[in-house]
Amino acid sequence: MEYEIEEIKGYAIVHLKGDVDLSRSPFARKAILDCLQERKDVLVDLTAVTYIDSSGVASLVEGFQVSRRMSLDFALIGVSDAAMSVLQLARLDQVFPIFASLDARIAHTERRT
Amino acid sequence: MSLHTLARTKRQEDDTNKMTTNPVIETINPSELPIPPEGAFRIIHACNKENSDAHQLGRLLERDPVLTIEILRIANSAYFGFSGKITTVSRAVAVIGQRTLRHIVLCVAMRDALKPGQLPALSVETFWTNALRRAVCARALATETGLDVDTSFTVGLLQDFGLLVLFYLNPHRIAEWPGLAELAPDDRYAMERQLFDTTHDQVGQQLAESWNLPQELSLAMGFHHRHPTYEIEESSATYCHIAQCADWMSAVFSCTDKRHSLGNCHALLEKHFDLPRSETDRLLSQTNEQLTEAAQAFGFDIGEQVSYAAVIRQANMRLLEENQNIQEMNWQLENVLKERDRVAAELKQELDLAREVQRSLLPMDNADQLKVFGINLSAKAVSGDFYDFLKLHNGKVAFCIADVSGKGMHAALLMAKTSSLFHCLGKSLHDPAKLLTMINREIVETSIHGMFITMAAGVIDPETSEVMLCNAGHLPVLRMRQSQPVGEYPALSPPLGIMPETMFRNETFNLKEDSLYLYTDGLLEAKVTAQERQGKERLLTLFGKYANKQPVERLQFIVADLRQQSEEIEDDMTLLLIEGTM
Repeated sequence: MEYEIEEIKGYAIVHLKGDVDLSRSPFARKAILDCLQERKDVLVDLTAVTYIDSSGVASLVEGFQVSRRMSLDFALIGVSDAAMSVLQLARLDQVFPIFASLDARIAHTERRT
Repeated sequence: MSLHTLARTKRQEDDTNKMTTNPVIETINPSELPIPPEGAFRIIHACNKENSDAHQLGRLLERDPVLTIEILRIANSAYFGFSGKITTVSRAVAVIGQRTLRHIVLCVAMRDALKPGQLPALSVETFWTNALRRAVCARALATETGLDVDTSFTVGLLQDFGLLVLFYLNPHRIAEWPGLAELAPDDRYAMERQLFDTTHDQVGQQLAESWNLPQELSLAMGFHHRHPTYEIEESSATYCHIAQCADWMSAVFSCTDKRHSLGNCHALLEKHFDLPRSETDRLLSQTNEQLTEAAQAFGFDIGEQVSYAAVIRQANMRLLEENQNIQEMNWQLENVLKERDRVAAELKQELDLAREVQRSLLPMDNADQLKVFGINLSAKAVSGDFYDFLKLHNGKVAFCIADVSGKGMHAALLMAKTSSLFHCLGKSLHDPAKLLTMINREIVETSIHGMFITMAAGVIDPETSEVMLCNAGHLPVLRMRQSQPVGEYPALSPPLGIMPETMFRNETFNLKEDSLYLYTDGLLEAKVTAQERQGKERLLTLFGKYANKQPVERLQFIVADLRQQSEEIEDDMTLLLIEGTM
């Protein structure tokens, strides 16, 4: 299963969807890491995610860790309720930068600069 | 509009019809094609007219003395059964009839259309021998099934004429001819497509139409390998079947793989003409004799032919070889399966050993005395969950439960590392938050693939029931008073293994005589039905249900209950129970 990737305003946006579980998380991991390997700032869109398990979260964690090592931007946008409850339960909302949308992310960056 | 015209019109309308769309066919210039002698052409057309009489045909034939002599010779041959009785053309027309005469003329015309000298490198004799064999097979089949024998004979003789034309147009391909002649009809057809980008039936049909041959002939030439792409009359369809069957009957003698041809031959004759195997065998056994007679009649030199008995022997030999090959393959398969079983047994042995090592990482302390109890069931042979507890030198008890992200061997290895760190560092570091900070830094240094560990760790004083707890990304720790939940302690920090700078926080409370339940998501997500999972509410009810049981027994009952609902464990299940004392 391939996840859609689009480039908007300098960000590579990886659109995850459906159940991101043990069988599908390798595709999510590849999509995210491929973008980072191309030295792109990455936003992972979780709007259409209906379920995410620990292997799916691990894909996000790895993307987050790699982006830090490469000094690239990495954030989650449009996190669905199903995904948000998993992230909050494990306090991963303290780890990942989370924004409502691409515009929110850009506005946040502009405020900081 | 005649049916012939109708068929042509329909074909032009049919986008899928390759006759009209095949670029190779469209590039053929009719003037480049071999044509029958002019006299033969006129006679064929005259025979097609319903009202032409014997005298008219006789006059036409007499204009071509060479053709006349040839017709009389063939008509008097043993093959047509009028030996020596026909001496004039008019007599020939009267005795053998216009229809038969037409077919004899046609066959002679086609025979002479391409003479051996025109394609020096091509064995025209081989082609005509096979064509003539198809013709006698078609005739025999027609006799057997009550169809017109002359039409069938001509169909058989002409059905592959398109192949000769293809070589005529592509002389550089002539080296392929001997190999092509030895193939079965289906393989030959596929090979033709590769060599010429078209096939003999399409070319043959176009040729037949350009020469204005009777419709049943042109259709049989066009559709003896493929289904017609438009509706045709039943009688024409029958000649298509005759041509198809005659092709395979002839192939029994001409092609290398006789078992394949014989098998197809039996199947096709039964399918189209209800002929049992024994009848097909009888027809095939008479083929050589009929071929010899027909060859004499038409003046073909066919050489020595392989007997049907030899065909049967070769087919049986092939069958034997195939059986031996199957036995050989079975033997190889057995060996592969044995090797697979051996590797699987070795792998299982390795996994059993890994499981044993992992089991040894679980605590062996006197649980009753420490008031801490645990149980672990792994979804796979090895587990990504673990729990531990150990008595500290100050009398307190350190405990933890953890769940490594993912499943299988890589999760089990990280679990082994984390549990070792906890067990080793936990002996001297009695503050859970500080302990987790140390473990986290170690894990982050070597973490790969984003793997992380949720962990709830604490220290309890068995004397006072004072608890210090640190929940790092793990499911909320549940506090129960008898069968009722009275509170929970959710994670205050993220899991281990993600960021080296993570700050972990403790919370302290007195457990009194309550119980703490620490569990992994395998319990929450255990299936109740095919579609429904356990969920938190059901799990609380389950904990309450066995609250009056002794701790060890209580854990066993809870796990047994979960397993009863779902035969297969999808995720590791780990449950740790801590009992408070007043």
